[in-house]
Amino acid sequence: MTAERACSSVVVRIGAPEFAALKDLLFRRYPEHEWGTFARLGWRETEDGLILTFAALDSPLPGELNERFGHVVINEPYSLRMALEAERHPFAVAVIHSHPQDCRPDPSHIDDDMDRYYSGYLSGFAPGRPYASLILSELKGELVLSGRVWWRSRWLTVGKFCVERTPVLSWAHGKAVQKALIDESRYARLTTAFGRQAAQRLSRSTVAVIGAGGTGSAAIEVLARAGVGRLVVVDPDVVESSNLERLHGGWPSHAEERISKVETAREHVRRINPDIEVVAILGRLPQKTVVDAVLGADVALGCTDQQHSRLALGELAFRYLLPSIDCGVVLEGCDGKVTGQILQLVRFLSTDPCVLCRRMTNPRRLSQELMSGEERTTRQAAAAEALKRGEPPDPYWAEETQLNTVGYLTTVSGAMAAGYAIGWITGRFDPPFARLQANLVGKFLDTTDSEDTASPECACQRARAWADQGAAQAQITAPSHWPFPKRL
Amino acid sequence: MNRERIESELARLAVGGQRAEIVTDGNRPIVLYHDVPTAGGPHGLPETSDVIVPIPEGHPAAAIDLAGLPAGSPLLPRVKGGNNNQGNVTAGGRQWQLASYHPHNGGGAPPYDQNKHGFHTYFDSLVSWLARLN
Repeated sequence: MTAERACSSVVVRIGAPEFAALKDLLFRRYPEHEWGTFARLGWRETEDGLILTFAALDSPLPGELNERFGHVVINEPYSLRMALEAERHPFAVAVIHSHPQDCRPDPSHIDDDMDRYYSGYLSGFAPGRPYASLILSELKGELVLSGRVWWRSRWLTVGKFCVERTPVLSWAHGKAVQKALIDESRYARLTTAFGRQAAQRLSRSTVAVIGAGGTGSAAIEVLARAGVGRLVVVDPDVVESSNLERLHGGWPSHAEERISKVETAREHVRRINPDIEVVAILGRLPQKTVVDAVLGADVALGCTDQQHSRLALGELAFRYLLPSIDCGVVLEGCDGKVTGQILQLVRFLSTDPCVLCRRMTNPRRLSQELMSGEERTTRQAAAAEALKRGEPPDPYWAEETQLNTVGYLTTVSGAMAAGYAIGWITGRFDPPFARLQANLVGKFLDTTDSEDTASPECACQRARAWADQGAAQAQITAPSHWPFPKRL
Repeated sequence: MNRERIESELARLAVGGQRAEIVTDGNRPIVLYHDVPTAGGPHGLPETSDVIVPIPEGHPAAAIDLAGLPAGSPLLPRVKGGNNNQGNVTAGGRQWQLASYHPHNGGGAPPYDQNKHGFHTYFDSLVSWLARLN
């Protein structure tokens, strides 16, 4: 077997329904005997690795696996059937099998032989695509996954598995991939509430926070104090003095020196806990560098309150199986009278309706957000000319009212979203809503939960888990005039 | 730009015999529709015209808007918005003038919905535009 190259940036993402079906199939002869299956994986080559998304299970038909053995023996018709299928679809092919209960998911010599065979055999039918070999087992009551990928003539070890709403332990090079809890006393209250295992899950998790303003900085603060091991923070802007009313970790010196919001966030997290890794990116979704970094996260939080960002985050949920919670806040009222203080949290699981199906965007506002400065100027001038002619200015430009907000509202919203992210990562609780709206000055907070339905014609129903193979179904592309993203 | 999506939309037009391609003005990509029929024949104007439509930044999130005719085209003063120049463009080796045509922004077509609209459906708007001459 060629020596495996450790590659922590190979991430395998699996949706909750598919993982339930996979577990049922692979554990059908548990606890003593193994079972296996082929599967199709969407894939994306990132700047430093691969993202693989579980697109479909290609379960064995009766007789395609040999029942007489305790380990997995694949009969030839199954291999050939899968190889011929691979000629007709664009996905990577995976073999996934179980190891008996409490047996570590380390590849055996039989597994080595199998992988050597299939990596060569399938390359003839699916040239240029990765071949993945994954192992699932249950160790001391915890679900554990390991894997390796044959890609460009070398083996890469899967560094991380992300299963939607289900905590799993990633296993590589004969041990669990996890960080030690440095200061257990620090998390004593959290471990009392959720258990020590929850604190460990947080320490080995990654959360992406898109937008590091009022809402995002509150979320970052909560996540850092809870002991999340790694944060990916994305924002294109610098701190301005008008941000300081809301920005956790923001000081007047940041505004005076025009320090970026992501750098400010990193500095703040370092003060809270220097062991937390912060990946700070000046950029926006869906720029490639940003998408690559965000897809390594267990959960993402959308904290920009901008429509393009919301649309992109929703797309990452269905195409790349990245669960997220999007936050929005608005303060309503005028002439000193506050009539509404609304916060909205929207859950994006891979099976949830996307942003378009939920009608969360306004095509005009979206178009205007994405325009270049030059085009905005031209259109605003054309709108002014139209007004002079006595014509409506709308075909050219529509002024959007600036949404007002205040620090306590953004803090509540960001902290709540961070709390639900912690619930997902630890497996202790789920957001009890699909789309929550609350009015802080309404009677009983005037809470509503909208259950939206997906349109069958929408991309979110056609390209679920297709990763880059669903590129033609992309709902948004990054404008060319945006500055190239920069990883600080 | 989602090139795969736009190419597949243009391929759908090609099935019906309509030629269209993606060109560039050096910076931004543009769809060039060839020989779009007009109602100009009885008025001594061209019976067909090439038409350009800029691919908006962020598309398909951003709505398709505007349309351009060859600079100096006799159709320009006769089409809706043709007298309201929205910019001059060099694309496909030719000069073009963008007209103030906004079908999805109050111009007669339904509001833009990326699940329904694309450069294949925009072609219908262009035909309708060139069929109604002043």
